[in-house]
Amino acid sequence: MTNEQIGTLFQLMLQYAVPTMKIFALTLLWSIPLGMIVALLKMCRFKPISWITNIYILIMRGTPLLLQLIVAQYSVPYIIRSDICPEFIRSALGGIDIRSEAYTFNMMLIAFVLNYAAYFAEIFRGGIESIPKGQYEAAGALGFTRSQTFFRVILPQVVKRVVPASSNEIITLVKDTSLASAIPYMEIMYIAKKQVPTYASLLPLFMAGAFYFAFAMVLTVLFSFIEKKLDYYR
Amino acid sequence: MKNSIKTRILSGIAAAALLLTCAGCGSAPAATTTAASAAPAANDDSLEKVMSAKKLVLGLDASFPPMGFTNESNEIVGFDIDMAQEVCDRLGIELVKQPINWDNKEEDLNLGKIDCIWNGMSINAARAEAMNLSDPYMQNEMIFVVPGNSDIKQIEDLSGKTVGVQTGSTAQEILEAWELYPNVTVTALEDNVTLLNQMELGFSDAVFLDSVVAHYFITSNNKDYYVLPGNLDAEEYAIGFRKADQALRDKVQETLKAMKADGKLAEISTKWFGSDVTTIK
Repeated sequence: MTNEQIGTLFQLMLQYAVPTMKIFALTLLWSIPLGMIVALLKMCRFKPISWITNIYILIMRGTPLLLQLIVAQYSVPYIIRSDICPEFIRSALGGIDIRSEAYTFNMMLIAFVLNYAAYFAEIFRGGIESIPKGQYEAAGALGFTRSQTFFRVILPQVVKRVVPASSNEIITLVKDTSLASAIPYMEIMYIAKKQVPTYASLLPLFMAGAFYFAFAMVLTVLFSFIEKKLDYYR
Repeated sequence: MKNSIKTRILSGIAAAALLLTCAGCGSAPAATTTAASAAPAANDDSLEKVMSAKKLVLGLDASFPPMGFTNESNEIVGFDIDMAQEVCDRLGIELVKQPINWDNKEEDLNLGKIDCIWNGMSINAARAEAMNLSDPYMQNEMIFVVPGNSDIKQIEDLSGKTVGVQTGSTAQEILEAWELYPNVTVTALEDNVTLLNQMELGFSDAVFLDSVVAHYFITSNNKDYYVLPGNLDAEEYAIGFRKADQALRDKVQETLKAMKADGKLAEISTKWFGSDVTTIK
């Protein structure tokens, strides 16, 4: 490949790094809050809710994300066509244009968010349950209400305990965004795969690899900084 | 109390999500069979739909040079695309090139994500069953390609060697039906160009693929490859429509015939292949 070709390819790849970052950012934006809610639901004392949450987590962690992305993509047309689908759902979903880019992107995002929320939920639950019972009793003895105890005593400790595990998950997400290329959604991995036959060269794949590496590197540095900042109670 | 309302709403969302996930897999076989077995409907509005929407959505894999592939600036180009563009121009509608996952092409077609599959698709029994195919527009041979310095000089020399082939392609089916198939090791991969790259690196001794793809690749990249004389089977390319969309299929077919008659098709074919290779009558 000539330098000029490499330059053109690099610019094209850079342009499609934006969709990759869009999936990444929006997935985090929705899955972290949802993960917190799921964690609280799983610890709910009313057992049926805890069971349902458990089944959700089991399915999300027990099936490949790639499969979930494909199922999400085909869910709306299949639900509309299914015989057991109630009329109001059919008419509500009937207005969705499955050919639109918005549909492709939103269904993909739903799959990413639901999947990552399950993983985050388990991390957050582990963090909350790692705080000794004695702290709740001590806070109670000092006259804290339940919500005061949670937000002022427990949560600050949970945050610092879940950061290392969450950073692991977030860096995995950087690379998992590449699964969107199978939908297909035009992000950096899709472009790399399609440019391989065009140039008859594997360079596009190496370029994509370099991008993911740089992205993960930035996040690693960022998280080690955050961990240092959260180094309280020592 | 506030907490319990919140939990109820949220568990509802979670349950809906689960339903969504399950419904997708549960109803899949039923929907496919109804779509495949449906006879051409009496009130076939497929053509009117496309004409009133003013666009034809063409589904393709976009990595199949020279039929339909992605160029340096990420535009989808190729012989099929030029042909489809001319058909759409003549019908006065817009051509929408929709990249799809080739493994799910029948689903995308039946669920209406695309209107047709037009991407150097070879005719086989399963596809003829699942789709309403156009008349074949081009002939294609399946050939073996080896590196220029290879000591394999004819098809019989391949015994005991490793052969690369594209997964889910008709090439794979033809290779499996070959009498020497038990004597060769097969490596299957997603696209032909990656297979050829792998052959160069020594992962395989030969690649079995469509002659149009091989010849275009060799000439456009100046590769030192040797095409083994002879072929296993000739096959034909066709355009795939939904089983019920007879009117749309006939209109496209009719337009292609007119293009053949006035020489436009020959012009497009010469641009990509150097001569008129189309078989439309």
